[in-house]
Amino acid sequence: MEFLLTQLSGFGGAFLALVVDPLTYIYLVVSVFLGITFGALPGLTATLAVTILTGFFGNKIPLDYSLIALLGAYVGAIYGGSYPSILLNIPGTAASAATAMDGYPLAKAGRGGEALGLTTTASFIGTLIGTLALLVFVWLLLLLSKNIASPEKALLALFGILLSGTLMSEDLVIKGWISGLIGLAMAMVGLDPLLSEPRYTFGWSYMLSGFQVVPVLMGAFAVPQIIEGMRHMELGQMVQLKGRILPNMAAIRRYLPTIARSGVIGTGVGALPGVGEDVAGWVSYGVGKTVSREGDKFGKGSLEGLLSSETANNACIGGALIPLLVLGIPGSPPAAALMGAFKINNIIPGPTIDPAIILRVVAIMVLASVTMFIMGLFTARIFMKILRIPQVVFLPIVMVLTTIGSFSVGGGINDLYLMLGVGFVAYFMNLMKYPIAPLVIGVILGGLFDETFRRSLLISGGDLSVFGSRPVAAVLLALNLALILSQVPTVKRAFGKLRGRFA
Amino acid sequence: MDDETQTLRTRDFWGALALMALSVFFLWRTMDIPLWGGNRAGVSSAAWYNSAAIVPLGIFLALFVLSIALLVISVRAGGAQQALSAVGIGWDADEALRFTTIGIILFFYVAGLVPRVDFVLCSGLLITALTFGFHGGHRGRMVLSACALALCGGYAFARHLPQAEWAAHDDDWLTLVVWVILTGYMLFIGRGDRVLRAVPVIAVVAPVLLVCAMAFGFRQNVPNRGGLVFKQIEYHYYVTLRPLWRS
Repeated sequence: MEFLLTQLSGFGGAFLALVVDPLTYIYLVVSVFLGITFGALPGLTATLAVTILTGFFGNKIPLDYSLIALLGAYVGAIYGGSYPSILLNIPGTAASAATAMDGYPLAKAGRGGEALGLTTTASFIGTLIGTLALLVFVWLLLLLSKNIASPEKALLALFGILLSGTLMSEDLVIKGWISGLIGLAMAMVGLDPLLSEPRYTFGWSYMLSGFQVVPVLMGAFAVPQIIEGMRHMELGQMVQLKGRILPNMAAIRRYLPTIARSGVIGTGVGALPGVGEDVAGWVSYGVGKTVSREGDKFGKGSLEGLLSSETANNACIGGALIPLLVLGIPGSPPAAALMGAFKINNIIPGPTIDPAIILRVVAIMVLASVTMFIMGLFTARIFMKILRIPQVVFLPIVMVLTTIGSFSVGGGINDLYLMLGVGFVAYFMNLMKYPIAPLVIGVILGGLFDETFRRSLLISGGDLSVFGSRPVAAVLLALNLALILSQVPTVKRAFGKLRGRFA
Repeated sequence: MDDETQTLRTRDFWGALALMALSVFFLWRTMDIPLWGGNRAGVSSAAWYNSAAIVPLGIFLALFVLSIALLVISVRAGGAQQALSAVGIGWDADEALRFTTIGIILFFYVAGLVPRVDFVLCSGLLITALTFGFHGGHRGRMVLSACALALCGGYAFARHLPQAEWAAHDDDWLTLVVWVILTGYMLFIGRGDRVLRAVPVIAVVAPVLLVCAMAFGFRQNVPNRGGLVFKQIEYHYYVTLRPLWRS
């Protein structure tokens, strides 16, 4: 109880400091608006919103304010994806793909206003659930993480890359792992962190400092999106919106258990390293369909289905920030972009992070969700107008934004070459169904993995048992091995036989 | 197996071969990094377990093994049989043209124009070329847009390759002329098209706002500060406008 009170008083202080600062509102309103716009426009994503704003605000304004801009855009973009899902049957972001299943039938049935009102409320409540979990669990985990040393960090980084590769693959799981390995390989470029030995620099001095995170993020997330989106597309007929966009309190009360369950699922999925809001939305939707008494109505305009996915994808944001702040391992692709912002501000998320930053993040999340709720209810019609803008109009502007953002962070033309190179590679990887998130997570965690892996071996004098002799390390090693073995065909067949014998 | 999966497996065949070649190349390059306690300038470096080569070695070995696994999967799925057929790899001439023209536009914008030409001018040309070229999906417009960027970018690249020459303005003028001609042609062709009519405004306003926000709002470096247009903006900001509120 005392722990909770201490947490709440700390949060109260951070919240008050934010509320009394007039600049907070400027950054918040602009970033949430931009975030909803990015989410609402099919072809732009939440990751892209956070990435571009990282390039724009990352190291140009104090971190306190850039965090407002980035988190505001993150919260807004995940919510904004629901607009085209409901009105056009096209998910604005991958996170809101499950929302389209029930949102569009509802809109076609003349209940579009009600659907938007409910998604706004569900997103608001979902964000708050995720934020509450962040406030409580981040501290518990921080206390535990004090006992985490180099072997555990190395295994955790590997687990994050493997898990992200496993869960984000649309096609074969090994493609996710290959993507993660390419990211890790990219992180090896430059001077190594322990001996300053140059690696793969090919005599080019720019490469000595390694690949910068922001150009890689921009290249991996923005350039393929631009190449893919630059095509003539006829947007479907937008469903005429009937009714006012208001929260249906009776439905909210009725489906409160669903909202609570989806919030918990979303937070849990978000807390898994590298797994994003889209997975959270689908998992929650799938669970809802299985356990609900109205499961047969899912996909035909069910309010419960709509609430299941939309609460979970926003709750995932708070969850995704837990591993980021506690361990320095991003919980989702937009959190990876956020990690980039921390990196260029020389903040190292993990057990040594300044507690004031965590409390500020929580306070910003609460304020961002309130701003999103108000904007969702009162300015929805503006976003519906924005939806009509064709991709070929806004994507060239995104390219200009990406270029100037990438240039200004590092201040060099070489960063632009890097961005373009990574962008073309990422486009071909997308074409062959390789997930990009594991690559980015590999680039971000590569340095940590390299340093902690070698430090562990150095401490143990080259004894590999250091990765299995400590309790937490042993658990993590087992998880890593289980993840790899679960994809080996012979092991899969053996498990299948075992299951058949016990069934 | 459906057609899409079959195409993917054929692409995986080539992808696996490329990954194998890459991992072998980088394994070979990793051999340059001392692994077994190398000797540098008379000082013996660390043991194998602390070598800078140990992690990259593991990464590229794992990549090599996974690329073999991918190759096996693709061959078993018939990817090798289809590998040399255009249909097998899902070759689509329209899509290839679309990608190639976008690739040319982005390459010449980033490599040729951004370092050497005024940012407002080159970004205006980029916005005009991309929107005009790809709105409506006309092949001729895509090629024309790519040619416009290739002409300006190629000229800037060829004429002013070394950094010492990036401040020259002849490439700025060429870009401006090409931009004006392309805009005029676009407005003539797309008289009845609302989107195309809006492009010139967007192409001017968006880069000007962005570059001004970055340079004067965030006080950050922007590409080519001495460019034709930005030089004037910067001059009037500091000499004409700023004294108004400073005094």
